[in-house]
Amino acid sequence: MSLPTASRQLILDCIRAVTQNPSAYAKVLRTYIRRGGLGIQEKLKLMIERLREYDADVVECAPKELPATIAGQLALSGRQVFVAPAGLPAEWLAAGFDWKIDRGLENSEIERAEGVVTAAFCGVADSGTIVLHHSSAEGRRILTLLPDWHLCILYASQVVETLPEYFDRCPLPPVLATYISGPSATADIEMTRIKGVHGPRFLNVILVRDED
Amino acid sequence: MNTGQPVLDPRYAPGFPIAALPVLRNPQLRKNVAHATDVIQSERARLIAEKSDWQELRSAASAIRNHVLENLGSYLEEFEARCTAAGGTVHWASDAAEARAIILDILCQEQASEVIKIKTMTSAEIQLNPALEAAGIHAYETDLAEIILQLGEEEPSHIVVPALHLNRSQVREIFARTMGLKDLTDDPKALTAAARNYFRQKFLTIPTAISGANFLVAETGSVAVVESEGNGRMCLTLPRILITLAGIEKVLPRFADLEVMLQLLARSATGERMSPYTSLWTGVTAGDGPQRFHVVLLDNGRSSILARPIERQTLKCIRCAACLNTCPVYRQTGGHAYGSVYPGPIGAILTPQLMKMEFAQSLPFASSLCGACYEVCPVKINIPQVLLELRSQVVNQERGQAAWLGDLMFLGMKAANSIFASARRFHAAQALCRIALHPFTRKDGWIHSLPSLGAKWTQTRDLRGLPSQSFRQWWAARAKEGR
Amino acid sequence: MRASLFITCYNDTLFPETGRAVVRLLERLGVALEFHPKQTCCGQMHANTGFRAEAFSQAKRFVGLYRETETVVVPSSSCVAMIRDQYPGLFEDLGDETLRRDFAALLPRIFELSEFLTDRLGVEDVGAYFPHRVTYHASCHSLRGLHVGDRPMRLLNKVRGLELIPLENMDRCCGFGGTFSIKNAEVSSAMLATKLQDVMATRAEYCTALDNSCLMHLGGAMHRQYAAMRTIHLAQILAATEGAPPEEAA
Repeated sequence: MSLPTASRQLILDCIRAVTQNPSAYAKVLRTYIRRGGLGIQEKLKLMIERLREYDADVVECAPKELPATIAGQLALSGRQVFVAPAGLPAEWLAAGFDWKIDRGLENSEIERAEGVVTAAFCGVADSGTIVLHHSSAEGRRILTLLPDWHLCILYASQVVETLPEYFDRCPLPPVLATYISGPSATADIEMTRIKGVHGPRFLNVILVRDED
Repeated sequence: MNTGQPVLDPRYAPGFPIAALPVLRNPQLRKNVAHATDVIQSERARLIAEKSDWQELRSAASAIRNHVLENLGSYLEEFEARCTAAGGTVHWASDAAEARAIILDILCQEQASEVIKIKTMTSAEIQLNPALEAAGIHAYETDLAEIILQLGEEEPSHIVVPALHLNRSQVREIFARTMGLKDLTDDPKALTAAARNYFRQKFLTIPTAISGANFLVAETGSVAVVESEGNGRMCLTLPRILITLAGIEKVLPRFADLEVMLQLLARSATGERMSPYTSLWTGVTAGDGPQRFHVVLLDNGRSSILARPIERQTLKCIRCAACLNTCPVYRQTGGHAYGSVYPGPIGAILTPQLMKMEFAQSLPFASSLCGACYEVCPVKINIPQVLLELRSQVVNQERGQAAWLGDLMFLGMKAANSIFASARRFHAAQALCRIALHPFTRKDGWIHSLPSLGAKWTQTRDLRGLPSQSFRQWWAARAKEGR
Repeated sequence: MRASLFITCYNDTLFPETGRAVVRLLERLGVALEFHPKQTCCGQMHANTGFRAEAFSQAKRFVGLYRETETVVVPSSSCVAMIRDQYPGLFEDLGDETLRRDFAALLPRIFELSEFLTDRLGVEDVGAYFPHRVTYHASCHSLRGLHVGDRPMRLLNKVRGLELIPLENMDRCCGFGGTFSIKNAEVSSAMLATKLQDVMATRAEYCTALDNSCLMHLGGAMHRQYAAMRTIHLAQILAATEGAPPEEAA
């Protein structure tokens, strides 16, 4: 709720008094690049390059190889206990691992997990950004925050080149969104970049080539 | 380290020329500042070189921010309506005291004895932490730099990299002492791991968080926070109660406007294409994140800045600190000399204006007007133009106060103006200067030492003595000889 | 081609040899020079120190002196920046319609020296000879105010015998800043020390620029330190020929 207070009125009155000739939103001139010029292959190559620049691990696979690739990445991680959003496709839940499906997991249970597997909404190649809109296959925000290892399944058809293209893809603005451009890092000490302060230290991406 | 704590309260801080002195005599600090700003600048330059539409982005960002300021009332009301509809509570604070009171009130109602905080310069602006401590509420800073400052009882010296004035061994000393880690090395990896362990439990158990906001989106009532370490996501997601403090100028019209701002911000602030994490949330979402959400909109002098046509552009700022990183003055002094939580070029114009020009009057003069800041500002704030405007206001204050009677500089400027008004007076003044400076002029024609204001020059520089003939005199003589 | 020389108050008083070099150079290039005897100051010092009303009166006087003048040449980029960047605002706030009109008509006829040479006269080779190692400092007003770009470089590159040494951090402010050098003398000196490190590292014999303001700041420190380098205004380099090297600035 909002509380109509004297301050609210005072502030708005002050503002109104000095903004007499507002301009229209449509008049804002935009000449920056909105659509990228790269072909599909170059765009995907850029996405992978940028992800690897951030020390994210990237493997590619064809759509039918996905479940096996997931299993392979999980095995390579040396981890056993994984959380998964409730809406994650069943065929992604590789056998031989301890899956905690999030149907209202306690924080302590998520904290005990060693990794998390999710889908994504979009990838932005220009900055190597993975966009989560926290749908049922992407999971609550805490799922991709507490575990130290995050495996993200990104389809080639979900990858755009520029940030404005991502915004064009949103049918409506998301209520929740997390934009991940690499594992957490700090450069606060002598500008030396250190990975993994809080948040997952290991980001793994499977790029599913559904556009080949 | 610090020879005496810097005072970052513009009401009590010494003027910039005085505050700069101990810093100038601190080679470690100057080295740290130069190193940090060099790193960010070179990364920024590299990324901008690959962005062919950088200037177009700047133009659009400037236009969007100008448009917002012209329509600020409507956008704030729209934000309020949408945020409220999504389950948030919006509060309005006229000044720092009111903002503190609102926040304390919420914390009291929630019976909070501890809060976790994401770095927000706005909370430093309103001096929130001391007020919380006084009410028995401990605020844990969770940004690595802010942790360092809080544990080391240091003051921030930069808007984006607040601890850049400290090097690794200074940080090691602080952590070892306050976290009880005697064997801690000064390897930044070890230091970071120490912070990670120290804070894990706090994130999981403290139910109340305070954040700032990089952007407020009017169209949706959403808030965006940009960060690197993940502590932001921790504070925004794990607690039950979230309070977001934001200056009223932080609002953007539409969600899609982030497509411009997010391309500019990280490149300008940290030399990255995007910061590791950007979080966007709208009100309250059942089952995900805080179930009670408050936004405190802060005026604290911003609406009076809005009133002034030239100074209004100060409010376009998106707090990237690119101006700090490029400023040749900041490079020498770091942030503490500015006596404000907002230092550097933006601080030099924002701080005195937030103080309604009653304090920090030395800050608009803490610049050589080189213009490098304007060149790098992603939203095209013409900082030199605002500096000049504020200088004029400070001088007008002096005029009104008759304090100028004792101010040698002021008297000198008045005299010079009178001299320049007349060619005859100008020529006479030149002749007088020649005579007055003669005793100070050595055989080689140079002056090594001058009294009074002149000493400010000669303490580090020689001065050419006045030639016996001015150019004008030479020209006149030449004309006479018919050449 | 006729042109009127606005020498600037500080060049007139402290650096007449720069003025003499401008005269020698432009007359060699066939320009008939005039000099308005009543000129004093453009008002920059007052404008930059917050004394707007006083700056306005000087600006008004300037326009009054040069209203009818065909072309004005100024061997100081900071003064031209004052005229281009700040006069409009001053006249908008404090002037009247006539003054604004007169200024609008005058403005395109005012040139900084390097602009005058390359844009108005269309020359880059001015027939100069200066057989020395020289480094060039880009003064802030010329760089960011006037956007002179590579004009000074193009002129220097055509000087016979001159070896141009690139200056690291060429575009970093030297720290003079007008009255800043007095009001914030210590910070100004710190900036000077940093700048001087880059300048001295070139091992040039001369450091040149478009502004004697920067040069007296840099040169003042060089002289204090008995450095083996001197400062010299660009005009003096361009005026120099085999038969007529620049006057030594002591």
